[in-house]
Amino acid sequence: MSIIILFASLIGGILLSAQSSVNGSFSNKAGTLESAFLTFITGGMMLSIVVLFFGSGNLLTILDAPKWQLSAVWFGVGYLFLTILAVPKIGVIATNLSAIIGQISMGMLIDHFGWFSGIQISFDFKRMIAIVLMLIALRLIYKANMKAGNERKHLSQQSSQSLHRFLK
Amino acid sequence: MKSLFYVVALLAGVVLSLEGAIYSVLGESIGKLESSLYNFVFGTMILGVALLFWGKGSLSYTVKAPKWQLTGGLLGIIYLTILVIGIPIIGVGLAMSSVVVGQMVMSMIIEHRGWLGSPKIKVKTEKIIAVALMIVSLFLIY
Repeated sequence: MSIIILFASLIGGILLSAQSSVNGSFSNKAGTLESAFLTFITGGMMLSIVVLFFGSGNLLTILDAPKWQLSAVWFGVGYLFLTILAVPKIGVIATNLSAIIGQISMGMLIDHFGWFSGIQISFDFKRMIAIVLMLIALRLIYKANMKAGNERKHLSQQSSQSLHRFLK
Repeated sequence: MKSLFYVVALLAGVVLSLEGAIYSVLGESIGKLESSLYNFVFGTMILGVALLFWGKGSLSYTVKAPKWQLTGGLLGIIYLTILVIGIPIIGVGLAMSSVVVGQMVMSMIIEHRGWLGSPKIKVKTEKIIAVALMIVSLFLIY
């Protein structure tokens, strides 16, 4: 079961990357916030239809859900604003790679302490090696991207495009 | 001063994991699809207000844009729903790591082929090594 979820998450990443290119092209003409807004509103409309037909939960119980669970929406939007702050100062590549480090470290912290949900996965030696390998990989990607940016003057163009990696 | 912005970028990643973790809990109680729907409806409201005050672009481009540029929402809902379903089973660390690997591989392919309006950039050896390392680390986490 969990290997299927692993592959599904890989596909999730693939879709997210496609989305950042799609939104990048759109926002070049329409603007960053506009592109984010369009993503959320069309996503909301499509999901409303899906939920209407296939929703097995109870949307009304949202009123009883603890407020901290509902606060998650601010985190998704927060991601957007934090990247908008960081990108002009340190560049897109550095922003994306730093965000990845934050994302994976936080993920492992949540797992280790079993925050929020019941599932608890301790941080062990294997995970530590995994993080080190990830850091080496990110360093390589950073170097390769910097080279690409110097070779071609595409960097600024690329910037505005990958800025839009944020939306889910 | 600059290092402050690295912290900001790091925080951006942190909130992404928090979001996934919290929505997966919400999904257990109100339903997975419903949890994603909540995100998109309330995100729309927040961004709608932000757009009113700070929007500098032109939303009207939407009607002129080629249709493929409008698929961001569809891609986004599939992504979030996969996370909401997957996190309670494999944990946030592994889910986020596989998302990152999928993202890296796909962005390399997009750049290499010049798809979706990206400038064409040939994939470099360093990046292939990087992806190989990431896949190894996925197996270590798994």
